[in-house]
Amino acid sequence: MARILIVDDEEHIRSLYALELEDEGYEVLALESGKGLAEHIERFRPDVVVLDIKMVDVSGLDVLQEIRNRFYDLPVILCSAYGSYKGDIKSIAADYYVVKSSDLTELKTKIRNALETRIPQK
Amino acid sequence: MPDWILENPENVSDAEIVVGIPSYNEADAIAFPTEQAAIGLTRFFPGRRGVIVNCDNASTDGTKEAFFNAPCVGVPRMYVSTPPGVKGKGNNFRNLFRLVTELGARAVVVVDADLKSITPKWIKNLGEPLFEDFGFVAPLYLRHKYDGTITNNIAYPLTRCLYGRRVRQPIGGDFGFSGDLASFYLGHETWNEDVAQFGIDIWMTTLAMYHRKPITQAFLGRPKIHRPKDPAASLGPMFRQVVGTMFHLMEAFASFWKQVRRSRPTAIFGFGLGETEMPPPVNVDVEALYRKFREGADRYEAAWEQALAPETFAKLREVGEMDQAHFEFPIPLWAHVLFDMAVAHRDRRLPREELLDSLAPLYYGRTLSFVRSTEGMALQQAEEYVEEQCLAFEEAKPYLVQRWGD
Repeated sequence: MARILIVDDEEHIRSLYALELEDEGYEVLALESGKGLAEHIERFRPDVVVLDIKMVDVSGLDVLQEIRNRFYDLPVILCSAYGSYKGDIKSIAADYYVVKSSDLTELKTKIRNALETRIPQK
Repeated sequence: MPDWILENPENVSDAEIVVGIPSYNEADAIAFPTEQAAIGLTRFFPGRRGVIVNCDNASTDGTKEAFFNAPCVGVPRMYVSTPPGVKGKGNNFRNLFRLVTELGARAVVVVDADLKSITPKWIKNLGEPLFEDFGFVAPLYLRHKYDGTITNNIAYPLTRCLYGRRVRQPIGGDFGFSGDLASFYLGHETWNEDVAQFGIDIWMTTLAMYHRKPITQAFLGRPKIHRPKDPAASLGPMFRQVVGTMFHLMEAFASFWKQVRRSRPTAIFGFGLGETEMPPPVNVDVEALYRKFREGADRYEAAWEQALAPETFAKLREVGEMDQAHFEFPIPLWAHVLFDMAVAHRDRRLPREELLDSLAPLYYGRTLSFVRSTEGMALQQAEEYVEEQCLAFEEAKPYLVQRWGD
C-alpha cells in the first residue's frame, strides 16, 4: 500500500484529501504544518508528498527546497488554490502542480503518475 | 588525440577550479566574461587555486589578446587552442577536458564568450555544487519565451521524456562539471564529429543523465543575454549537429531510455540572488517561419514520406494544406514527427544529412505554432505551455518505444 503524506494548514482540505485517498487504498498521514517535516518523512517514509504552497507559518516552496535537499528522489505534488504560483521558478523542483479543487480527479492522476515514474539504475 | 596549442605564461601546473571560456572570433566580447569569472573566483573561492582558460579555435580576430588583456587581478590565465583550421565548440571542450584532467581540477565551470549578463555569482552557483556531491550543474535562467526555441521544442521535451530527468536548459551553454566527469567525457566512446561541433552541450548533459551523475540546476538570477538570434534566422549546421547528436545517443542508450517512464524534477541550487531580472524581448519573423515551412514541404515531401510513419505523414499533409492564418502544428503530431525521425535515423532510411535537413522546416512549422500559441502570454504562462508540451511527449512515449522495437 503506497503512503501519502499531506501537508496543508486547512483542516477541511486535510480531511477531504485523507478521506478520498484512503478510499483509493492509500495509507495517509495528514499534517497541518511543514515545520519539522523531515522527522515525519523519516518516520512515515511516504511514497509521495502532497504539499500546500501557501501556509500560515511556512512557505510550501521553501519546504519543497528542504525536501529536495534532504530527500532528493521523493516525489512532491504542489497544491495551491492559486494558479499563479505554477510559473514560479521554484515550483519546477516539484514533480507536479495541482490547482486545488473539491474534485480530486487531477490530484489522484498525478499521484498515480508519481508512483509510476521509473528511471532505471544503470 | 589532436595536437593543441597551449600558452601558460604563469606556469600553472595544478588547479582546484577551472573556468573555461570556449571561443571562436570573440575578440569584441570575451573580456567581460573573463573579468566576471576572475571576480567570481577571488570572491567566492578565495582558498582554492583557480585558473581561467580560454579554449579557442585559433581565432584570427585577436580573441587571445583580448582574453589576456582583460582585467583579471590575482587569477592566472591559460590559453589552449585547436590547430589553425580545426574548428568546433566540442573540440574546444575536448581540449578543456584534457587540460583539467592534467591539472587535476576538482571543479570546472564553462561560460560562453559572448555573455553580456554574467555576474560573479554565476561562477559561484555553477561551481559550488561541485564541491558538494554534485557531478554536473546545468544553468537555470529566465529566457524570453522566443529565445531558445530549439531548447523549448526539441532538446528539453525530448531529453526529459527519454532519460526521465527534467533539466530545463540542456543546451544552455554555461555549465559546471566535476574533474572526474571531464576525464570520463574524454574517454567516452560516443564522441563523434557532431559532438566535436555544436553537439557538445546536449552530449554532455545526456551523458550526465544516462550515467546517473548527480545533477543540479544552478539558478543564475539574471537572464542569459548574449548575441540575439531570431528563431527564423538560418539554423546552419548547428541544428543538424544538435539533433543529430540526440538521435545518435538514442541509438547508443536505447536499452536504458526504453525503460524510463515519466520524469523526475532536478534539484535547484542558488535561490536568493536578489531581484530576478526579466529577459529582453526577442523578435520573431513569423512570415519567414511560415515561408520556410512551405519551402521545406515543397522540397522534402518525398523525404518526409520515406522517413515518417504513414499516419504521421498523412497528418503532416493536413498541416501542410493550412493557410498561414489558420496554421497549427499540434504538439502530439510534433512528438510523433521527432520519434519517427529518430527511428528513420537509426534505420538509415535516408542519407543522414538529408534526413536532418528535412527536419528543419518541420521545426520551423512547430516554432510558428509555438509562437502563435504563446503570443500574448506572460513568461510564466509560456513556461506552463512548455510544461504541457513536455507532458504530451511523455504521454506519447509508448509510441516511440513500440516503433523502436527490440
